[in-house]
Amino acid sequence: MSQIPQAVTWCLAAGLLVALVLLVAQWRAARARERSLAGLRDQLLARDEEAHRLATVRLPALAHSAVSHPPVTDPLLTGTRYAADLASVVEQFAGAVERAETRADQSAKAALKGAVRALQGLANEQQVAISEMQERHDQPAVLRDLLEIDHANSQFGRRAQAIAVLCGSWPGRQRTSSALTDVVRGAKSRIRDYKRVELRTVVELAVVSRAVEPVVLAVAELLDNAARHSQPNTTVEVNLQPAHNGACVVIDDAGVGMDPREIELAGQLLTGQRSVDVTRLGDPPQFGFAVIGVLAARYGFGVSVDTRSPYGGVRAVVFLPTALLTQVEQPPVVALPVAAAAPARHTEPARHPEPAPFEGRTQGGLPRRRRREPLASLTEPTAGTAPGTPAAGATEAAAGTADAWERDAADTARRLGAFARGTRAGREADPTDTP
Amino acid sequence: MGGDRGLVRPYVVTNGRFEPTRNTFDLVTLVTAVPDRPVRTLSPEQRRMVDLCTHGALSLAEVAAHLGLPLSVAKVLLGDLVDSGHLLTRAPIPAAQLPTSQLLQEVLDGLRARL
Repeated sequence: MSQIPQAVTWCLAAGLLVALVLLVAQWRAARARERSLAGLRDQLLARDEEAHRLATVRLPALAHSAVSHPPVTDPLLTGTRYAADLASVVEQFAGAVERAETRADQSAKAALKGAVRALQGLANEQQVAISEMQERHDQPAVLRDLLEIDHANSQFGRRAQAIAVLCGSWPGRQRTSSALTDVVRGAKSRIRDYKRVELRTVVELAVVSRAVEPVVLAVAELLDNAARHSQPNTTVEVNLQPAHNGACVVIDDAGVGMDPREIELAGQLLTGQRSVDVTRLGDPPQFGFAVIGVLAARYGFGVSVDTRSPYGGVRAVVFLPTALLTQVEQPPVVALPVAAAAPARHTEPARHPEPAPFEGRTQGGLPRRRRREPLASLTEPTAGTAPGTPAAGATEAAAGTADAWERDAADTARRLGAFARGTRAGREADPTDTP
Repeated sequence: MGGDRGLVRPYVVTNGRFEPTRNTFDLVTLVTAVPDRPVRTLSPEQRRMVDLCTHGALSLAEVAAHLGLPLSVAKVLLGDLVDSGHLLTRAPIPAAQLPTSQLLQEVLDGLRARL
């Protein structure tokens, strides 16, 4: 009878062992399942997270700036198809955004260009009208008003021009070659605080005609920046400096200066490394540097703003290469008066300043003397005895007027003496006429 | 002016001033330069004005025309140059002090007769 319980015990033991083994196996399987489940859950979470980040961070960032790309993914997803798909989504999105932006930029530029061209035309027309009015009116009060209108109109014209340049147009007006000094003063004419701009040096250089307007516009933008970002009681100093292979316009302000980030951004815009997008100029739009960058790239001059001025503000340097420079045309100061002014120069007072080549009557009813050169016979002491003598002088009128104005003091004295003798002789001839 | 007339605007030429320092100038005011005055400190327009007048007297109207500036602007510049001693002005001699027109007519007739 004792064998039965023993057998049962063995059976039980074996069963127990089997159960134990099964249990362990089961437990291990459960652990493995749990682990893989957790892994899967993590991956799901990571994917959710990544998809969320894509929707809320990466795509909006792309849409808004098109520059910043946050780094790709979670280590859990690297190399998976999911990551590759996401990357492709981002890529396509970026492409679509870029195309949309280019299209928007182009249509904005086209629309602006058309609108601004009309404004530019109006500004130019108005300037001509104002210039004519300045010629016509001769009262200080009227002049004051006209100068104000002129000033406002010039600034208006500059703004329109800047937008036009940004939209890819030409700066507009064609000018003749002008002295560098006048180019800077032309730029000065177009900014609000022109009285604060001081031109310190004068160089004998001129800017070739095709570059005049662009350089004026670029310098005007720099001057405007300088004046705008400095105290109203400070001056903006402009120096002109001839260099080995060109010339520099150096603009120093005593303003707040720029921080390194601003300088970097400005540098990118000025060198044309960064393209300009008219739809992204900000509000209020800041396009000074962008305009200068476009002009500098197109006409081949250089602009930098990365140095500090001795007054703590910004030093802007415009470098004009020799190709854009020429010599100042000899100003016609000598030639002009000889050619055009000589007939109008009166040794006797006259009512009308305009040249009167032939005799007529002045307002006072006096006969106007016809200019005869050089009245040589009268200068001979023996000749000035009769009123008829000037006839001899008249025949010699062919002598060049050019030489006539180069005469010295002694010559002048001789002429005046001759005139006096002539008049005296005239009076003596008929004493009843003497007043 | 070397370059374009419209480039440098008149308010820059006068630095915003519109009233001459004296109000005795008119179209026919005769302007002469005082020789050998330093011109380094002058603006380009003022320098040209002095240059124009060194060769002899010129009326203000002519000076303004040669400079390509409105007369009123030229007056402002002239006022400054007279103040600084670079230029001298002379009002035209009044008609009353001149020989009568009849006398001059006679002179003219005489000249014509000789011609």
